[in-house]
Amino acid sequence: MWELAVRSLEVSAILLLAALGELVGQRSGVLNVGLEGLMLFGGTVAFIATQATGNFPLGFAAALAVGALLGCAHGFFSITLRGDQVVSGMGLWILSFGLTTFLGSPYAGPLGLGRIESPAGLPPFFVLGVLLVAAAWFLLYRTGPGLAIRSVGENPAAAEAAGIPVAAIRYLCVVAGGVLAALAGAAYTLSYNPVWNYNFIMGWGFVSLALVFFSMWNPWILLAGASLFGLMWQLSLSPELVLPGILSRYVWRTLPFAITIPILVVISTPWFRTRWGLAKPEALGQPYAKG
Amino acid sequence: MGCGPVRLGRHELTLEPRQAPPAGYTVLTAVAAIVAALALASVLFLSADASPAAAYRAIFSYAFLNPHGLAATVHRSIYLLFCTYAFLVPLRAGLWNIGLPGQVYAGGLAAFAVPLLLWREPPGAPAPAVVIALMIAAAAAAGAAAGGIAGVLRARFQVNEILVTMMLNSILFWVVAYMVKEGGPFMGATAEGESFTLPAPLRAPLWWGVPFTAAAALGAAALLDLLFARAALGYRIRAFGESPAAARYGGVNPAATSLLVFLLGGAFAGLAGYHNFAAIPGVYKIPGNYGYYGDLGFYGMISALIARGSALGAVPIAFLFGGLSLGARFAQGALRLPFGVDYALLGLLMMTFIGSHVLQAFRVVWRRRAAAAPEAVVGGLPGA
Repeated sequence: MWELAVRSLEVSAILLLAALGELVGQRSGVLNVGLEGLMLFGGTVAFIATQATGNFPLGFAAALAVGALLGCAHGFFSITLRGDQVVSGMGLWILSFGLTTFLGSPYAGPLGLGRIESPAGLPPFFVLGVLLVAAAWFLLYRTGPGLAIRSVGENPAAAEAAGIPVAAIRYLCVVAGGVLAALAGAAYTLSYNPVWNYNFIMGWGFVSLALVFFSMWNPWILLAGASLFGLMWQLSLSPELVLPGILSRYVWRTLPFAITIPILVVISTPWFRTRWGLAKPEALGQPYAKG
Repeated sequence: MGCGPVRLGRHELTLEPRQAPPAGYTVLTAVAAIVAALALASVLFLSADASPAAAYRAIFSYAFLNPHGLAATVHRSIYLLFCTYAFLVPLRAGLWNIGLPGQVYAGGLAAFAVPLLLWREPPGAPAPAVVIALMIAAAAAAGAAAGGIAGVLRARFQVNEILVTMMLNSILFWVVAYMVKEGGPFMGATAEGESFTLPAPLRAPLWWGVPFTAAAALGAAALLDLLFARAALGYRIRAFGESPAAARYGGVNPAATSLLVFLLGGAFAGLAGYHNFAAIPGVYKIPGNYGYYGDLGFYGMISALIARGSALGAVPIAFLFGGLSLGARFAQGALRLPFGVDYALLGLLMMTFIGSHVLQAFRVVWRRRAAAAPEAVVGGLPGA
């Protein structure tokens, strides 16, 4: 049971890190639907670098660098060029899906190094994730820069008039989002399941994106959502813990994705939106042209 | 209004938005995107110690000159064309159908469910033509149903269609595994993790060696372009895609439009599933690596994007991509390249498409700076 709890927190941590970066980016008004691609790229680069050098920190550093680079690319297209953010995000996803399949395949297989030590038996990335959630909440709701981020996401014209550099803030948030998504991918390939496989992330990036909508852009609700989803994911891998012998294991694998759809529906209903939905950043997905 | 100028010595580089791209420019950018992706792919070949010239020769000669390769290219491009339409129709309404793999699986499963339920060995066999017609109808209906879920949720509750279609991809991927593997209802007699093979009378009829689905794919291209160019319905879909708010003001029903484009798109993906698993000579089953065909569906996405929504324009593109994806697999074996050249090409095409998209929308202006250039008004990169 303890084993299951630890494994599910490891899953939660990966979803949480990626989703938290996306949450900050969306708070600044930029939508990145290519989260899945950033996770694939971060995870693949981290795996290759670590396997080549035998050095975990180097692997994580490589992932962070590639995440920042891809975040910049998304920022350039969606902030500087004011392009369609969905086009850019989808582009990043397919680009990463294709390139990582080619780049990673010579390294396919297990990493072949020991597991990363976890303090007090707790999954390290979950601890990091919780700390970052607290930091993100504090930043967004208790500090001046956080107010600036939120105002840029709500009403960039008013923020600009108040002297806030809209483009710079958005860039910072998008790059931070890219870095966190790539870190999440690295946590997958270096810690959760250190075996490189083509398209190893299998939809978790899109689940993280769904978690951001579910969280109503609040880091604490995001933490709760990611924790629940992590548990659900691990249970779908070993259903015999709950309901032994019922249904094929393949049917259980559909469950986490099948549950996500009705949740998305509920949070999209007018009832839910009027009750809770005020949190959605007003300018989300809209390019800002300086007046 | 462009982005901030990039200064290089006494010159500066600016991107200025184009009002109306010149005629022929769209074709030019499409060709440029494809050529640039192929040029970038040579870096991959070089990094794998293969000569790019030898790699391209292997790819193109297998895909377009070798008789076996050419036949496979034709079959593959029919599949990609149906996937292209499945993405293209919702895209014209501004919606992203990335559920191509899931809808393809749904179509394939439905097509194989029909013979399982209806087919008996002779005597007493139903007319094969009837069963084949039912298989096609079932595939289209199942694809439409899978797409329709995303459509109805988008229409009724504004649920993000990217998320719903992606969740359905994962769900249907495992549903296929359940059906064809480990004693599933569709598992073949050899029990090697693939479906039963279609009985000979139920295989799609060939016209001059090509399954009849080729004619359907080409006919659909013409009809789709006609729909968007001439028909009121096509106009309403395009208006909704350009500006949902304005279209609504003009009497377009947003819910009906969202649902309709996903039903139609899903039906095309279902037909792609029928074609790929039930009509290609030598296949006639849902193989164990069905996930690969699902991934190939994304070539349909990129060909619709590069063709900029024109179905007829996508025909040569899908033919080229069909050949490239097959030839890349062949070259991989022939030249001992790492696995996944076909995937890498997909990624590179997406990248060069985005680049061409920028060049389509902006003009690159390179000019000498005025003696006392004023500070840039529009912010560029932070810290630049």
